[in-house]
Amino acid sequence: MIYGIRFVVKYLLGKDTAERNFAVYPDDTFIISYPRSGSTWSRFLVSNLLHPDIEVSFANIDELLPATSSRSRRALKRMPRPRIIKSHNYFDHRYRNVIYIVRDPRDVVLSEYRFILKGRGIEDNYPIDAFVARFLKGEVSTYGSWKQNVGTWIAARGGSERFLLLRYEDLVAKTAIELSKIAIFLGIETTPERLTQATERSSAENMRSLEKTQGDAWVVTKGRRKDVPFVGRATSGVWKSTLSEACIAQIEKVWGPLMSSLGYELVNAEFGNAVAPDVSLSKRLYKVQF
Amino acid sequence: MRIITGFKRALDLHSPGRNLDVFPDDVFVVSYPKSGNTWTRFLISNLVHPDEPANFGNINRLVPDPEALPKRVLNQIPRPRLVKSHQYFDPRYQKVVYVVRDPRDVAVSEYHFHRKRRLIPDGYPVDQFVRQFIAGTTTQYASWGENVGSWLVTRHHRPGFLLLRYEDMMQGTVGELAKVASFLGIEASQDRLIQAVERSSKEKMRELEKEQGHLWSSIKDTRQDVPFVRKAMAGGWRSDLPPQSVAQIEAAWSFLILYLGYELASEATKDKTEMRVRELLLGGPVR
Repeated sequence: MIYGIRFVVKYLLGKDTAERNFAVYPDDTFIISYPRSGSTWSRFLVSNLLHPDIEVSFANIDELLPATSSRSRRALKRMPRPRIIKSHNYFDHRYRNVIYIVRDPRDVVLSEYRFILKGRGIEDNYPIDAFVARFLKGEVSTYGSWKQNVGTWIAARGGSERFLLLRYEDLVAKTAIELSKIAIFLGIETTPERLTQATERSSAENMRSLEKTQGDAWVVTKGRRKDVPFVGRATSGVWKSTLSEACIAQIEKVWGPLMSSLGYELVNAEFGNAVAPDVSLSKRLYKVQF
Repeated sequence: MRIITGFKRALDLHSPGRNLDVFPDDVFVVSYPKSGNTWTRFLISNLVHPDEPANFGNINRLVPDPEALPKRVLNQIPRPRLVKSHQYFDPRYQKVVYVVRDPRDVAVSEYHFHRKRRLIPDGYPVDQFVRQFIAGTTTQYASWGENVGSWLVTRHHRPGFLLLRYEDMMQGTVGELAKVASFLGIEASQDRLIQAVERSSKEKMRELEKEQGHLWSSIKDTRQDVPFVRKAMAGGWRSDLPPQSVAQIEAAWSFLILYLGYELASEATKDKTEMRVRELLLGGPVR
């Protein structure tokens, strides 16, 4: 009941968190990813591309490119359209224009572990294999499991013109090129100089130093452990040296077919697909426009 | 208006829909709209409650609809609950009976249901409706392909998910209902199955609709001259849909249509690349 009254007051003021319950417009574009898959980085990249005159930081990122998990319904309603909004939600039919960033789940699980450690959801030395088991069941996040999140979007929208699928690993390896795909999708006119500038301003080093000075002010990091950084290693393939063989096998056994069709090489090939994904398939899937 | 909505919410008098409080032991009867959901609800209800034949007056209590009942009522229903749903994938639903129907028949049925609800006038162009149907703008439950695809990719071949085709249910109702019984862990005799099927026949449901249609939230205040329980048959699209609409539906969802065992009628340009992508996602022993 007390929760009910609090909810009504928040609801009347439009101050309840947007999540899945806010008004969506057909001209909205969503940047979606499973948690710990580069969504904050991509928010910085896009914001730096759109606003070369503003210093993008943790202090203003929620204004520049808001997230459904941290903004209120009212705040989202007041944004000028067309809006660009970040979300971690699994498939939602109202989102017409979607940029989806997928990351190797073997790296996602390590990053998620660190993030939950930072939020004091688990203790230091919490066994990683127990965490992997919970991660596979989708129990560590309210956004479904990694496969449920990625799979529902690709099953519903894969191949559609209004769905741009990017891999975090490609974004790391060739940031400016991948950012240019986002620019084309958003209909932003840009130049190589601006792409490079946005990439540099959103570099892991820059974001790390911003986190140090502004971490206390940002809704996602404030009140959490300071000895565990939010901006992690920002690389791909950390799992190769960090995850045990058993954990790797566990993940590949459950999600192998989807992982290999996204181009992630499996250690245990028998868990992949009988049909090897070909290059043209990936090209079409990622809607490469060059 | 917002104040009323707000206080309804505080007192749990609103219908939660997608925001239903889900319990781990809930069983969901899920389908895209106009795919045999009400029939399946009657069948399952008559199977589970042989002492209380289902009708349009009690079905919302026996297999409740989160779109029609207040949250307060839903939370008081004895568990384990059987819950009706048209939602696309929701990770909280642990046990799901999913009924799928040929989208070409779904489009026809949805057209007439829209007429019944006065959302379109008589004589509204069918091909125009089908374009909206494909775009997913005729319901709040996404498009047929998005709804079906979201469930298949996440749950098909996994425990806790029973996939039924409306067409198989039409042909061998008792056999398909037996699958539901074993999915629910009910030991049902042949007699009990047959009784449930007879109590849920289209003749019986038509009769009940005539007597009780005005009681049921889903159809009260809709046109009385357009029936809710319609032909209840498979393949009506062959005579009711224009060829170009058939081709459009098949082009939009060729992979899913074939994957579910329906045949394509038109020389649809099957996009093989896209097919492969989805095959990779859906195929194999997915856990």
